[in-house]
Amino acid sequence: MSAGTPKSLPSSGQKSIQDISHPLSAEDSVLTPSPDLGNTTSSIGEKDLSLPNGTPVDTSSPASSSSLLNRLQLDDDLDGETRDLFVTVDDPKKHVSTMETYITYRVSTKTSRTEFDLPEYSVRRRYQDFDWLRIKLEESQPTHLIPPLPEKFVMKGVVDRFSEEFVETRRKALDKFLKRVADHPVLSFNEHLNVFLSAKDLNAYKRQGLALLTKMGESVKYVTGGYKLRARPAEFAAMGDYLDVFTQKLGTIDRIAQRIIKEQSEYLVELREYGPVYSGWASSEGDLREPLEGVSGCVANCSTALEELTEDMSEDFLPVLREYVLYIESMKNVLKKRDQVQAEYEAKLEAVAFRKEERTGVSAVPTDVEKCQDRVECFNADLKADWDRWQNNKRQDFRQLLTGMADKNIQYYEKCLAAWESIIPLLQEKQDAKTDTN
Amino acid sequence: MTGIRRKLLVVSAHADSRTPFLVQSNENIFVRMAEPVTGSEEIPAVTENDADATSEELENNQTNAMVEEGTNLLRKMEISVAEAEKRMGKNSVNIQETYTVYLIETRPIDAVAEGHNPAPDSVWRRYSEFELLRNYFLVTFPFVVVPPLPEKRAEFVWHKLSADNMDPDFVERRRVGLENFLLRVASHSVLSNDKIFYQFLTEENGWKEVVFDTGFQAKADSRLKALNATFRVKSPDKRFVELKHYSDELQSITSQLLRVRARVADRLYGVYKVHGNYGRVFSEWSAIEREMGDGLQSAGHHMDAYASSIDDILEEEEHYADQMKEYLFYAEALRAVCRKHELMQYELETAALDLASKKQQREELATGTVRTFSFKGMTNKLFGQETQEQREAKLQVLEEQIIEGEELVKEKTIECDEFVKNAWVDMVRFKEQKDRDLKEALISYAIMQISVCKKGIQMWANAKECFSKM
Repeated sequence: MSAGTPKSLPSSGQKSIQDISHPLSAEDSVLTPSPDLGNTTSSIGEKDLSLPNGTPVDTSSPASSSSLLNRLQLDDDLDGETRDLFVTVDDPKKHVSTMETYITYRVSTKTSRTEFDLPEYSVRRRYQDFDWLRIKLEESQPTHLIPPLPEKFVMKGVVDRFSEEFVETRRKALDKFLKRVADHPVLSFNEHLNVFLSAKDLNAYKRQGLALLTKMGESVKYVTGGYKLRARPAEFAAMGDYLDVFTQKLGTIDRIAQRIIKEQSEYLVELREYGPVYSGWASSEGDLREPLEGVSGCVANCSTALEELTEDMSEDFLPVLREYVLYIESMKNVLKKRDQVQAEYEAKLEAVAFRKEERTGVSAVPTDVEKCQDRVECFNADLKADWDRWQNNKRQDFRQLLTGMADKNIQYYEKCLAAWESIIPLLQEKQDAKTDTN
Repeated sequence: MTGIRRKLLVVSAHADSRTPFLVQSNENIFVRMAEPVTGSEEIPAVTENDADATSEELENNQTNAMVEEGTNLLRKMEISVAEAEKRMGKNSVNIQETYTVYLIETRPIDAVAEGHNPAPDSVWRRYSEFELLRNYFLVTFPFVVVPPLPEKRAEFVWHKLSADNMDPDFVERRRVGLENFLLRVASHSVLSNDKIFYQFLTEENGWKEVVFDTGFQAKADSRLKALNATFRVKSPDKRFVELKHYSDELQSITSQLLRVRARVADRLYGVYKVHGNYGRVFSEWSAIEREMGDGLQSAGHHMDAYASSIDDILEEEEHYADQMKEYLFYAEALRAVCRKHELMQYELETAALDLASKKQQREELATGTVRTFSFKGMTNKLFGQETQEQREAKLQVLEEQIIEGEELVKEKTIECDEFVKNAWVDMVRFKEQKDRDLKEALISYAIMQISVCKKGIQMWANAKECFSKM
């Protein structure tokens, strides 16, 4: 919903956004606890005192602890696995420096894993840090499905990147992304994730990583040599087909949801005109004044309820659909990569068979072909596990999303119901009083 | 009444002929006309404006018409418009046309109370006959806020609603509206005792001839020229000025309400119907799902049901719109009474002015002084005085005219007072009726909205149950 001016973000402490958006203000750097984000203001040293390496900050904050708790309860039924890594993304803050303006989010971690030095961490990360993490995960875990990040720009230019609605939607998506990664049996042990969650200065680590990239790139790269895969195994072909149909259905649902939001907004415009007609009428009536004003008030209440419904739908429903569209894209990419690995294997196998024909007597299959076969099998196993996990997540997410939609609609009707029921006694009382006096 | 009076008043004899039309007795309520309706007959249209412009002499009727005040027909008979039927027939210019007739059924209450439960008497009437009846009322009882007929053509429609006069939904709403009109007339202390109305309800044939025999049309036509005139009344009655102002307000606010409501209905229709698309896509999606499939499929059915529930909701809401429309048209009837009062007041003032000038002339003739400059005064000065005989003759004529004028003013004053008295009684009645009706309409509107909300909650709860099983 574009209605209303974007509200200002909650900023550090109890300060309003105006307080923090003065780049030259002395307080600015104190309020910006992100020395690792290239914010080269003079007070880094001072902040180091308050933020010793990896020491949890703000972990007692009610918001983070309660959402962690929610998380615990929410996932109790999932797989029955015992969880030992909990992450939350919250508390977005706007940072204004002379160079740029950006948002950071607090990333809180609680864990009992020995891979982490401490049981709790709290760091601040910005979007590009998440982006970096995702790239790293994709590079280092090529056989796995990496959850999607929210799009970098949603409708560039149309949306105010610093509006509360936009930041909150993005925060939710980042939270979802990180939770999906942390819940993954393989990805959650990735060293980049560890660094992302705990490092005080992520940029320093990023620069290090840059030097290593060439080395790592080798393992990432798959040479297909233009070889075309003969046939996707039925199992994976079915996945591909499923994803195609699902994408299509999601697209339809997205269009329907948008259309409903549009229809509701137009309905709202008319309702906003409809209510005042009754109060306008009331001014030229005597005995009818109160009933007419009652109806006018009712229509106004219903308008408010409708506006809330529409806002909820555009803020909570649509982003989840879009996340899934991206999720499907990630899944398709993994499928493609699997195909490439298989194609490589098939190409090698064919080459061996060709050589066999030429020079009979060579019976042993070369070891690199065997390695290739192992890789295909590993990939297949990883993919199948990820697929099952994804299906499970999807089922849970859509159950939650759709029951949420039903709930929002029920709440809307309940609010309208309460409004209309409240004026009945008013109308009838007037009627009774009238007949009594007669 | 003197001959001169007759000349001035055009026609007033008809006033007396009204008396026989009144239902004087409670007996013989039932006159059964068993013959079937034959074809159609074009009724010359009398527009509301014609009726508005009718002359002052008609007010003479009021005393006669109100003889039976206090009794109303509804205590004596049950009235309903039971059904509508499409017919084919030739109109006055011999062109085949399709039209709708409505069956009016009446039953004496006494018989029903005694448990006889007799078959109702029935007549078929066209909408145009209802219009004729109403125009007759407007002309005959100018001091009454005559109940309006349902709209001639569907107005304030939203896109889903048909504007076709032959549309079954339109015909049904008109049937309800016509019944409502008859019930309103039958419960009106003045209108319900009119014999023409009684005959309208009970006599299939010859009714129109009786109406035309009253000559109401001639009266309506005779004042057509007054139609376009604007009357600047010198001393307007404040109460009627306020009422006229109120009727303007009522008309503009109800038409605004109806206009916006139609748009609201249109949008609401859109919101519901778009949800129907979920029904289809959930069903298609369920085909590729295993565990989620059943839940999706049945949730889809609930979405379909939700989408189609709007049809009934808006059909019901149309009734509310009709109630508002009735008051939109009532505003016009209210204004007609105010305009009638204005016209009467104007005529009274004109007569008084005329009388005053006659009196002045007489004074000038008698004293030979000319108070105001006039051409006549000039000629007198130039050519000498008229002879004594001429002056005597002129004075004689003037005296006669003054007597006539005084009588006219007196009569007009009585008429006007009488009109104000009667009109005010009906205004008070109308105000009470309006407050009661609109309050009830608002209550039933609120109750309807409550049921819409409950339905909505139920349907989404059903869908939620399906979703939660996925």
